Amino acid sequence: MFDTVDEVQKRLLDQSYICNKNIATVVFLASKLHKPVLVEGPAGVGKTELGRVVARALGLSMIRLQCYEGLDESKALYEWEYSKQLLYTQMLRDKIGEVIEGTTSLKEAAERIASQDDVFFSERFIVPRPLLKAITSDSPVLLLIDEVDKSDPEFEAFLLEVLSDYTVSIPEIGTIHAKHLPLVFLTSNDAREMTDALKRRCLHLYIDFPTEEEELSILNLKVPGMDERLAREVVSLIQNVRKLDLKKTPSISETLDWARALIALNADRLEPELVEATMSVILKHQGDIRKAQAELNQLLMQKTAEARAQAPQAVDPSPGGAKKSVLH
Amino acid sequence: MQQKIVEFTNLLRKAGVRVSVAEALDAFMALDELSLDDRELFKDAMRTTMVKRSDDIPTYDRLFDVFWSGFHDLLRAQLAQAVSGLGGDFDLDELLERLREVLENMDVDLSDLAQSLLGMDANRIEQLIRQAGEAAGVEGIQNMLQIGFFSRRMLEQMNFEGAAGELRELLEQLREEGFPEERLQQLAQLLRAMQDALRRAVRGFTELELDQQNHDYLERFRRESLAEKSFYNLTEEDIRKMREVVERLAQKLKAVVSMRRRRQRKGKFDLKQTMRRNLGHGGLPFELVFRQRKREKPKLMILCDISSSVSNVCRFMLQFTYSLQTAFTKIRSFVFVAELGEVTSLFRDNDVYNAIDQAMDGGDVINPYTRSNFGMAFFTFWRDYLAAVDHRTTVVVIGDARNNYNDPRAWCLREVQKKARNVIWINPESPGAWGFGDSVMDKYLPYCDLAEECRNLKQLSRMVDRIVL
Repeated sequence: MFDTVDEVQKRLLDQSYICNKNIATVVFLASKLHKPVLVEGPAGVGKTELGRVVARALGLSMIRLQCYEGLDESKALYEWEYSKQLLYTQMLRDKIGEVIEGTTSLKEAAERIASQDDVFFSERFIVPRPLLKAITSDSPVLLLIDEVDKSDPEFEAFLLEVLSDYTVSIPEIGTIHAKHLPLVFLTSNDAREMTDALKRRCLHLYIDFPTEEEELSILNLKVPGMDERLAREVVSLIQNVRKLDLKKTPSISETLDWARALIALNADRLEPELVEATMSVILKHQGDIRKAQAELNQLLMQKTAEARAQAPQAVDPSPGGAKKSVLH
Repeated sequence: MQQKIVEFTNLLRKAGVRVSVAEALDAFMALDELSLDDRELFKDAMRTTMVKRSDDIPTYDRLFDVFWSGFHDLLRAQLAQAVSGLGGDFDLDELLERLREVLENMDVDLSDLAQSLLGMDANRIEQLIRQAGEAAGVEGIQNMLQIGFFSRRMLEQMNFEGAAGELRELLEQLREEGFPEERLQQLAQLLRAMQDALRRAVRGFTELELDQQNHDYLERFRRESLAEKSFYNLTEEDIRKMREVVERLAQKLKAVVSMRRRRQRKGKFDLKQTMRRNLGHGGLPFELVFRQRKREKPKLMILCDISSSVSNVCRFMLQFTYSLQTAFTKIRSFVFVAELGEVTSLFRDNDVYNAIDQAMDGGDVINPYTRSNFGMAFFTFWRDYLAAVDHRTTVVVIGDARNNYNDPRAWCLREVQKKARNVIWINPESPGAWGFGDSVMDKYLPYCDLAEECRNLKQLSRMVDRIVL
């Protein structure tokens, strides 16, 4: 586990995940207090990735439960393996005959069978689903419950037991306690508000879009070999696009995709035509593209004018530039 | 410290942030794990344990600053001002250095306050002021008029006069010890400035306390009352804030609807399906199958009167229904004043708010600058759109039925009701006013399955709830 908040930040960075102090604090507290973390924020800011990276940093194996509408207990918690039970009864038919041999009344026979029926409702016939798996795992795990807002409200109800006590109750068997307390991350896109009961049991973390500097360092980390100036332009443009009122705001992964696309196109500057041609990488709705186009052109013009004004002290060849020429 | 955190928790609650006891305990546990020196860390830890809704984060940030940093910054500003007010050729460090030398050889006994003033120890002064505040019961302050009273009481609690006396005496002693006269003057000046700063800081402390007690009531009151505020009195600002409230109500409704649908879905036992499903188990009925009862989602046709008297109701109704789109198979929206026109396509091409704004402006299909004529609007609807109404359609009319003495043509509405599943009328006027003056609500009433007054958001969301089911 982690010892200090700074250590969290450092170890996540080792896994190439840049996080601010706020995120690190929450992760640190989660590991210390053994509390689930509810991560909220717009799509594409790295909520799921955070869970994945923490698992890697701590060397835990990750169990992921993807939520969707209609997800129920039998898919999330556990399920009785009917066909296996049935198969066993068929095969054990003779044995059952033996068990009730010598009984004189129906009642006595039923008693005998009843005394054996826990065979069929034992852990042997349970198919563990992610939640139960996380609880019964022999090594400590990280449980990632993804997009919990997509599940139905009643699904939260049986999450509660798992999250607050780290136990699962199976009526036929009893309560199963966790061997190791799992680290739990829940992510939500805020499609609907989670119930207070759930929130009360969790630490809350809101991840917003990164600031310009944060995004720049993410870009440098994830797309190495990108020209410093181009990266700066890309990020500032994306940041400006996010301020527009769009149907779907471009996420970090879209910034990265765009950066990779630009590298593939061998671009070293953002020219209006280039932006126009690659716009579909960052914006996924026709209406958004139209809306952004006007703004962007204006922005780029302004940039070009500025650049021209400072033209004399132009570019110093950056290491990124050199690498690129090797690549192509 | 614990006391302070409990106070802060209460403050959050007053501001409308829901913090349970368990969560406050979590905060304590979290703080045990962290060092308290780092203010940012402290802030994050408290937030993650106590504030669970992203909407509340701005409130938390503001309160945190007021509560934890407000006085901290104020005091330091006052002290800095005291020093800078002393004029240019004043070597503070040297003065204090000399003073320390002299004091070491003298036998003086100073109170805490006098010592911290002399040493300009901001942390200690802050501590003393906070203690005095607690002893004086400042948290009970309720209005502006008490600021003076509580400030005086705090000064008494810290024995300010006593400390001032001690400092005067000290100056005398220093003079006897042969402290240079020039420096003595400077020191006296400094001490006077410090005392003034302290007085001002104490006053500032009570003012901040009053702020905390008051200002969040207002904000919360506003938000809560927005749902009950009459549509007639909304300001532009309100309308903007209202969007968010509507959004939230719609989300809530959506969850409820989905839950209700699910619960109803389980129908009768289906023998045929059960046998087929269990063939694999040798015909033993291990899995039971129930017939799924299909509940048809309603189709919705909304007729909005966009004359200014009703437009706010329409605005929010449209926002509601389009936020709940998944609860309906189809929504068609119409606007009318005298003419009637369809604006459904606006919602396809624009985002909801834009579309609503355009629709409220007549949406290029009708002339909004005429006088209301419900009769004509219904006639147009009957003539052009009746064919689209079927047994699954719920027709919602939003309007005050103030017809400017035109022919109501209630028979059009009757024809619509015959074909539709439901006709629902949402009227922003109270039932007492229906049928009086130029209101022809009474003529339409027999042909509505449901007609209700709707003058604020709460009532509106209740209506939407009924429509959805």
